[in-house]
Amino acid sequence: MIDAEVTKKLGQFSLSATLSDGGFICLSGNNGSGKSSLMRAVAGFFPLDEGHVRINAKDVTATPREARGVVMVTPGSLIPHLGVDAHLTWGSRLKKQKIPSERLSAVRAELGINFEGRVSELSLGMRERVSLATALLSNPKVILVDEAFSNLHERRAFIASYRKLTHDAGIDVVFSTQDQSDGSLAEHVYTIAEGKTQRVS
Amino acid sequence: MNWLRLISLASLLLLLVPVAVLLYYGLGPLRSPAGYSNAVLRSIELSLASSACAAIVDVVLFTPLAYYLARGRDRITETLVDIPVSIPHPIVGVALVILDSPRTPTGEFLTSIGINFYNTILGLVFALVIISAPIYVKAMQPYFESKDTSPEDFATGMGASRLRTMLSVVVPNSVPGIESASFIAMSRALSEFGSISIIAYYVLQYPFYGVSPASVTIYALFSGAVPGGLDAAVTASAVMILVSLPIALAGHVFRRRQ
Repeated sequence: MIDAEVTKKLGQFSLSATLSDGGFICLSGNNGSGKSSLMRAVAGFFPLDEGHVRINAKDVTATPREARGVVMVTPGSLIPHLGVDAHLTWGSRLKKQKIPSERLSAVRAELGINFEGRVSELSLGMRERVSLATALLSNPKVILVDEAFSNLHERRAFIASYRKLTHDAGIDVVFSTQDQSDGSLAEHVYTIAEGKTQRVS
Repeated sequence: MNWLRLISLASLLLLLVPVAVLLYYGLGPLRSPAGYSNAVLRSIELSLASSACAAIVDVVLFTPLAYYLARGRDRITETLVDIPVSIPHPIVGVALVILDSPRTPTGEFLTSIGINFYNTILGLVFALVIISAPIYVKAMQPYFESKDTSPEDFATGMGASRLRTMLSVVVPNSVPGIESASFIAMSRALSEFGSISIIAYYVLQYPFYGVSPASVTIYALFSGAVPGGLDAAVTASAVMILVSLPIALAGHVFRRRQ
């Protein structure tokens, strides 16, 4: 459950947005509407001018980024020198936890990660799969997907799989898109324009 | 006619005059066997070894500082890093002598725990670190600044601390930059004279007992402190240039490769 009410002036742009829901959430808006800024506010990239961010009823407004349990995935979210397996398990190794091999292969199969190699040498679509799977397996409370569902083959099927996997793991997801029809893939839909959100469903 | 190119090349030529003069006279008309005697070669060895050590210390101790400066907005620390560059280098040597002098409390303390800078390899390397580390930091900071922060943000989101992010995400993906900056720092250390002529005019330690750093040896030949004279100093300088040029060039080759 994400409960964010954020106000922030970023240069000429002012963000004044509310997002309060759990599950698989679509955030749709045009370029420059404030999608990334809202996500960065939830992830804790900058202090807010006003407002709060609560994750699963816990106030994290003043919590540093690394302690929020919020992973933001962008097209550049990769640790380039790692191989695919080392990348997928990076977050859990950080917490000194081991991912059972059945779990790892199930996620790999579900998200179409049937390749190996250094992640810096993979195609854009392969990288997105690896980044998103890595975020999932690091077991955060929230995953924010910022334009990282963009280069995927059979995109809608992939998003549906990702929704199922994150639901089973109890992880809330917000994904940004410029395509309004993506709303049908989500449980809740928000639109954002000029830094202001509106809840559609 | 490309005037900009012409002017640039002319000014570059001016910079290269000392190197060209030394290589021409040192290897040609003024060549003197005293310039590549065993003593001179030993001092070049000492300079290479101590400069390499200083570069390694720079990498280990100053990579975090360069990264910190690149990601933070800590203008005060940034200014402090520049201080060793802007003071005359002999003063750095004097400072180390005083720090370590039996007449000062710091010197007494350091002696009591077995640390000695005067005419030691440790003192030589310490001075070289102080004068080369700012060069290293100034080379690494823009390198880190130019890197995309997405991998770091991703790691932070998964719960990695800043230090952990630096060690396991940033450093493994910055090897070309670190190689380049460490060669630049090493060639700066090789060229140092001021501070080391005071703290370690010669080293009184195995395996370099009685050996002076190369720049000091060249000065000693020139001044007549050791027999040889101008011809030997010029020849030794040419040899020193031949040895240090590849190291300076390596820094630039690695930089291009990125």
